[in-house]
Amino acid sequence: MMPPATLTRRAAPVLACIGLLAVWQVASLALKNDSFPTAIEAIRAIPDILGDKESLINILASLRRMAIGFGVAVLVSIPLGLLMGRSRGVAAFFNPLLMVIYPVPKAALMPIIMLWLGVGDITKTLVIFLGVSLPVIYHSFEGAKAVEEKMLWSGAAMGLSPAQRLLRIVLPAALPEILTGCRTGLVLALITMITSEMIARQSGAGNILFNALDMGQYDTVFAMIIIVGAMGICLDAIFERVRARLVRWSEPQFDMPLSFS
Amino acid sequence: MKVRQNGRGSNDAPHGCGNGRLSGRFLAKLVPYGEASDGMTVVPARSNEWVRPVTSHEPASAIIEIDRVSQVFQTSARRDHVALSDISLTIEEGAFVSILGPSGCGKSTLLYIVGGFVSPTNGTARMKGQAITGPGPDRGPVFQEFALFPWKTVLGNVMYGPRQQGVRAAEAEAQSRTLIEMVGLKGFENFYPKELSGGMKQRVALARTLAYHPEVLLMDEPFGALDAHTRTRLQNDLLNIWERDRKTVLFVTHSVDEAVFLSDKVVMMSKSPGRIREVIDIDLPRPRRRTELLLDPRYQKYVVDIERMFDDGDEAGPAL
Ligand SMILES: Nc1ncnc2c1ncn2[C@@H]1O[C@H](COP(=O)(O)OP(=O)(O)OP(=O)(O)O)[C@@H](O)[C@H]1O
Ligand SMILES: [Mg+2]
Repeated sequence: MMPPATLTRRAAPVLACIGLLAVWQVASLALKNDSFPTAIEAIRAIPDILGDKESLINILASLRRMAIGFGVAVLVSIPLGLLMGRSRGVAAFFNPLLMVIYPVPKAALMPIIMLWLGVGDITKTLVIFLGVSLPVIYHSFEGAKAVEEKMLWSGAAMGLSPAQRLLRIVLPAALPEILTGCRTGLVLALITMITSEMIARQSGAGNILFNALDMGQYDTVFAMIIIVGAMGICLDAIFERVRARLVRWSEPQFDMPLSFS
Repeated sequence: MKVRQNGRGSNDAPHGCGNGRLSGRFLAKLVPYGEASDGMTVVPARSNEWVRPVTSHEPASAIIEIDRVSQVFQTSARRDHVALSDISLTIEEGAFVSILGPSGCGKSTLLYIVGGFVSPTNGTARMKGQAITGPGPDRGPVFQEFALFPWKTVLGNVMYGPRQQGVRAAEAEAQSRTLIEMVGLKGFENFYPKELSGGMKQRVALARTLAYHPEVLLMDEPFGALDAHTRTRLQNDLLNIWERDRKTVLFVTHSVDEAVFLSDKVVMMSKSPGRIREVIDIDLPRPRRRTELLLDPRYQKYVVDIERMFDDGDEAGPAL
């Protein structure tokens, strides 16, 4: 038997979801608007979508692009951010570049990228990559900069080379901060994924959503919103599990967006 | 003649005679080299660490030479701040040297220069005749701020150095466990640094540095955060290690009492700019027992003299 406190904590997200759906249900019944189906109608449409082979292929294609975009972004951004944090030269070179790219909505770059690379997978994956990179670079950079000097000195005295210090001291010491960036990046990956599919409609979860919107199938639209939202919540929860395990040694951090665990 | 003695039986022997290995070094200081080194071979207790006899190059040779070192810091207010001014100091191999001085007089900075972490603005520091250009495992720092690896457990921290030096995992672990026990942290091997108190962290930091057997220990107020009891115990442990391994120790402290108790030499520094005021040789017999020393008039005289000197300095010009 779980203690009541744990039970409440575990049940809280479920209760929040039920509450949200209840409000939705009541609001839509009250408004009686064609373009605002009830929660129950939307939920009823979910099995249809997930049972449809075509839709499933679309959703899986979205997830694949998201995974590739996110994965490549993380693999490139962490080393770059760490190097920037520990080397003034590297930081001086990349900082202005990133400062310019940072505030630009990545989706706004899509027309140009589409022009050059077409409307296929590469374009969409690239946009996801861009969206994820910046927070991960930024957090890796900040994390690496904050590594205590004496820790690096201790490593140097033990005979670690500069490269070894980066890999074996800076990386673990900055890991909590890096993972914070990755968590933000994961949510951004989902957002850019849908956005990219909205702009370059051809396949994917966003494509289903906006096609349904065009055809006035509002229950499908809302069902897709629920599906995409659930995907985000699940991915975030899984990531948070992994993160918490990796940085058990560090102080608890409270600066997580969308804390959900 | 091979002098090798770690015995504790000669506590009350007259100064400079009883303890073979130590008196050898003291003699070398007092008597011209030729006589002192006459057939005298100092062999460290753990000869696999330190095979070369001291006499093979020079008797009582200088291991660290600090030669007219100055350190100027550019402060945020864009003003030059002279932290160290024209410091010259020679530390003999196997000596226990303490640096004593008011807060902010540059003790840590001097230690960083010897460690190779900071390169001095002027002058050079040499280790065994070689100019120090960077850190190395021959000089092991114990920082005031501990600087433990927070993602490693106590055992992981202590094992880190030996593992880096290529010691096999099982062996490194066994050695590390012994060291952890020595610093009184048995049972805490699997704790993370954040789960330790300040004094415990300090002891882990000490064990972590001892674990890779540096020839020179650079200790920055290593016992500052400890209670009196633990402090005394660790002082004794440190002296035991020192007497066994003949490490050279450069030891920063605020405590006059601690400096006199541990050292062969006390370097007194003054503030703004950081200078060496006085180097005092502490001629007290070894091995030293705290309880005996506290009653020893010579010990008391050293402590009182040094404290007086600091008081004089304060009166002469505190805000120089
Ligand atoms: N990186 C730095 N930049 C500017 N000034 C510094 C820097 N490091 C040290 N200083 C200055 O140099 C002086 C000596 O500092 P240091 O840390 O060596 O003193 P300390 O003798 O170890 O003091 P404490 O006993 O309090 O540890 C101080 O006045 C400090 O302000
Ligand atoms: Mg200091």
